[in-house]
Amino acid sequence: MKIPKPKIKGAEHYSEGQLNYLQRKKLYQFGITWGRILFLFSFLLLWQIAADKEWIDAFFFSSPIDITRLFVDKLLNLELLHHIGITLMESGISFLLIILLSLITASCFWYFPSVGKMFEPFLILLNSLPKSALAPLIIVWMGTGYPTIILCGISVGLFGCILNLYQTFQQTDPERLKLITTLGGNKFQAFTKVVFPGSLPAFISISKVNIGLALVGVIIGEFLAGKQGLGYLIIYGSQVYQLNLVILSILILCAIAVLLYGIMNIIEKRLKC
Amino acid sequence: MSVILKLDQVAYSYYSDTGEVSVMDNMDFTIEKGSFTAIVGPSGCGKSTILSLIAGLLSPTAGFITLYSDDFAAPKIGYMLQHDHLLEWRDIYHNVILGLEIQHKLTPQYLTFANELLEKYNLAHTKNLLPSELSGGMRQRIALIRTLTLKPDLLLLDEPFSALDYQTRLLVSKDVHHIIKSENKTALLVTHDISEAIAMADNILLLSKSPCHVKQCIPIEFEKHGITRDKVRDSKLFQDYFDLIWRELQNENTET
Repeated sequence: MKIPKPKIKGAEHYSEGQLNYLQRKKLYQFGITWGRILFLFSFLLLWQIAADKEWIDAFFFSSPIDITRLFVDKLLNLELLHHIGITLMESGISFLLIILLSLITASCFWYFPSVGKMFEPFLILLNSLPKSALAPLIIVWMGTGYPTIILCGISVGLFGCILNLYQTFQQTDPERLKLITTLGGNKFQAFTKVVFPGSLPAFISISKVNIGLALVGVIIGEFLAGKQGLGYLIIYGSQVYQLNLVILSILILCAIAVLLYGIMNIIEKRLKC
Repeated sequence: MSVILKLDQVAYSYYSDTGEVSVMDNMDFTIEKGSFTAIVGPSGCGKSTILSLIAGLLSPTAGFITLYSDDFAAPKIGYMLQHDHLLEWRDIYHNVILGLEIQHKLTPQYLTFANELLEKYNLAHTKNLLPSELSGGMRQRIALIRTLTLKPDLLLLDEPFSALDYQTRLLVSKDVHHIIKSENKTALLVTHDISEAIAMADNILLLSKSPCHVKQCIPIEFEKHGITRDKVRDSKLFQDYFDLIWRELQNENTET
């Protein structure tokens, strides 16, 4: 079988070898992209057929068509959008608070190294704790409602974020700090001119991790204390055996996670230019 | 000529859990205004520590370091480090004015001066480039301009060429020497490279082993013999100076 050669824009400008290289590369990309689409499509198809032929129990495993139907229904009466909005809002606030609190704390630790050194083991301790264990305690203290859920969201990422950021600040080349001193700068200027700008790439990747963690925390919070939001829908759906709803919510969570990650990637690219 | 820097019986030691290490003892020397002095010594003898002491990054354990100036203002010190440390997120122009920014001196006079320096030494075309787009030699020259924009009275050069490859090192050291001389700056160079010291300096201070002190001061007098600075490396005199210093350093290593 002969594979047709992909068309390359402006082919006449390239040498034969270069053209060959570009064509092979394009073919490879093409194969990967369509491979992914094909995999997803056949997975959905198989799922649907299995449900229709009753190879699996559609009550427990649902089916793509049922889920789509539910999605359209819920979307039309705006109920779903409301829940998505709540979860997004809660994770957004949690994320911003994680970043803000971590920045303040890590900067203070860097500025006053003995304070940082003193608190470090406590942070390591808190960070290695499975944070979901804190959630019931938070609920007892603060009741159910947004503050509780946001606090759950924060608690998952915060300690790790502070530690990572603090370590990044500490890894600044001491010669660069010396440069600022020899140019007549003080410690504050060393931070604003060298330490923080130099940590920006690491800061972005830390943010990327933490936007995911904020979502995890918020879902845990909603499981336990939510009256709305996707986490609540999952728990509610499983309790009333509406598994269509559970799977739909999980799929929407997937989409949200991808979306948030994508947004962070765009911000990262912007900052690099 | 007037004296700009005087070290008087300076000693420095640092302390650790295992004990005290004396880096230098009885360090005495003076630097005259407009001169170019090189400090050469066995490796690990604390050459760079001298510069840190003069710049005030460290305080001597004993003795006095005095800086003199013509007016009543405190003399300003410029420091050039081993690596250029240009900040990769700033373009060249903003790297050059970093010192001005830090000292809140972004006045038209200083900015014009910075621009003039870049023009004068053929670096103006790099202004909008990022450090990563420049060669190692160019970067080191930019680092020098960054120091010069602050109009320092005394320049401290801490092995500024050691991170460059041999060929670039020759070219850049020549350039840097030219820039320093035409700006009429006083310079103190620390280096482990004997030939670099001979090629650039008017005086060479030879240090002893740790704890170090000045063992010998060797004036380098090419001009007296009618040899211009860009040709020194080919001259017989250069070889003589080299042999002299090499021998002294060898003696220093075998004495104990």
